[in-house]
Amino acid sequence: MSVLEVEGCSIRFGGVQAARNVSLRAGEWEIVGVIGPNGAGKTTTFNIITGFYRPDSGRVRFKGRDITKLEVHERTALGMGRTFQNVGLVKSATVRENLLTAQHLEAGYSALAGMVGLPGTFAAERRLRARADALAGILGLGDLLDTRVAGLPYGVLKRVELGAVLATDPDLLLLDEPTSGMGPEEAHTFGATLLELRREFDLTVVMIEHHVPLVAQVCDYVYCLNFGELLAEGTPDAVRSNPEVIRAYLGQEAEEVLQESAPS
Amino acid sequence: MSLEIQPQASPAVEPVADSIAVEVVSPPFRPGLAGWVARGVVMAAVAAVVFLVPTVRGNVEVHIYTQAVIYAIIGLSLNVLLGYTGQISLGHQAFVGIGAFTSAYMVTVQGQPFLAAIGMAMVVGGIQALVLGAVSLRITGLYFALVTLAYGTMAEESLFNIQKLTGGSAGQPAPKPMWFTTDLRYYYLCLAFLTAVVWVDWRLMKTKGGRALAAVRENPRVAATFGTDVKVYTLMAFVVAGVFAGLGGALLAHNDTFVVRDLFNFQLALVFVIMTVVGGLRNRTGVVIGSAFFSLVGYFFDKLFSGGLHVPGIKVLPKEYAPIVIGPMLLLFTLTRHPGGMGQRIRPIQRWLRGGRFSSRDTHDDPTSSGGERVSDVRA
Repeated sequence: MSVLEVEGCSIRFGGVQAARNVSLRAGEWEIVGVIGPNGAGKTTTFNIITGFYRPDSGRVRFKGRDITKLEVHERTALGMGRTFQNVGLVKSATVRENLLTAQHLEAGYSALAGMVGLPGTFAAERRLRARADALAGILGLGDLLDTRVAGLPYGVLKRVELGAVLATDPDLLLLDEPTSGMGPEEAHTFGATLLELRREFDLTVVMIEHHVPLVAQVCDYVYCLNFGELLAEGTPDAVRSNPEVIRAYLGQEAEEVLQESAPS
Repeated sequence: MSLEIQPQASPAVEPVADSIAVEVVSPPFRPGLAGWVARGVVMAAVAAVVFLVPTVRGNVEVHIYTQAVIYAIIGLSLNVLLGYTGQISLGHQAFVGIGAFTSAYMVTVQGQPFLAAIGMAMVVGGIQALVLGAVSLRITGLYFALVTLAYGTMAEESLFNIQKLTGGSAGQPAPKPMWFTTDLRYYYLCLAFLTAVVWVDWRLMKTKGGRALAAVRENPRVAATFGTDVKVYTLMAFVVAGVFAGLGGALLAHNDTFVVRDLFNFQLALVFVIMTVVGGLRNRTGVVIGSAFFSLVGYFFDKLFSGGLHVPGIKVLPKEYAPIVIGPMLLLFTLTRHPGGMGQRIRPIQRWLRGGRFSSRDTHDDPTSSGGERVSDVRA
């Protein structure tokens, strides 16, 4: 069964068709890559999947259920987790506070009960804290638990964000450029991390990614978007060697290169 | 969970993690016996001022101390809006006024007991805040501030003119409750209510509700991704603020034993905003101290200058205007010099009292450092 199915979604902002008839699917345990040049509609597609945008037409299914009309937080409750291109964290809070905030739906008590200070909420808070600390340990953030997020370097922020999303206990992880700002070596290490996380947390992953070697390393299936439309799909190798994809990435230059190399 | 990810995953990141790790290794500071005794003495002195000083002062002064306690409740109410949600309310005098008149009406006209009247004031305060909260979901920032301003004026001009509810310009009597008819007893009663409000505020910030509000304030998109219903939590903050304000208003009414609508004017709303901001947003102790300060400043200003300090040719400032004159000066100082307000200034003392060092620096292993001041964010 497919965990995620996007069926012919289109969305228009004024005169810009940001997504046109985009369809993609991710099966259980799959890691699906979404690639494409800047402005291809990758993040727009993510926003449709996670509920920040309502598509003008088309549907989004999650675990077989039509979620097109659900709010963002309702999708989180169903098991959807997402990271942001510009790091989605509460910047003024510490790493631990972020990991606690992300466990909003795992708390097991109502906000009112917490406010009044019912006895059970103290134990629940200790449990959440232990879980946050354990998660930080797994991601190598144990030493930074009491550090404010605002001052941390970008690479660490990305790791904290990943930890926060995992704290929401997702079944489907949507990663928006998880290796941006990383060098090739780090990106490669991240690939190994991702594979281990998938095994540990039973995850299905959809990720927007630019590092081609990483995509080839971990992705089971790849979709390539361009100008809001699906350009190509298939295994990483098939998509990578697709001439349309090469042209989309290299644009006019590719045409010129081809023309120059052609005998006159 | 047995998964292990090597910390040396990213070479570019590791040096930073290392340098912070070194700080962690040094053992946390613990004061010696003399240190603990000194802290105990200071805490006892603070408690003595709060609990014992009113017993040796006259009724007039106790009445003013009680007002300071009630202002602290109102300050904490406004702090929920200003501090936790980042929405400004320039109509908070209406929030408080509605609570005051509801309670006075319940006791005087309906003949209800004090606790029922207070409860009703809190319910009504919560409901009217909920309505305003619904507006805030659509209008934010400066425009919402204008809406609250209009709401306050509207309440002043229409709601508080309903003869039955407010007694018109004559006002509505609000007798003190049984058992608490003396000023001193009523002072302790208000102190108990303040303790309850502080407790709720503390637990709110320590549990999921407060964390959700912080996330919503900073980044609603991230909050939603973490599973927070942004609308529900915004409304919740308004209701909490409204309930606190309703309580504060009701206590204020019974403290004066008489409510007149002229009390709840725009000037009062300004004092509320100034005392909360100067006290220090998102800093419970700061807000309590700031509110009490602005409640007391008029009285002590008056006492100080009518007692003997008469400069020839200069008229003494009437005490009602003291907060409005001193307020903006302190506000300016707060905005330019220490954004954390009074709360930021007293933080080293709090830190020391809890068994830490007397230091204004934020250390990562300090549980009191979370939330609040912005300066340290910049420094970090």
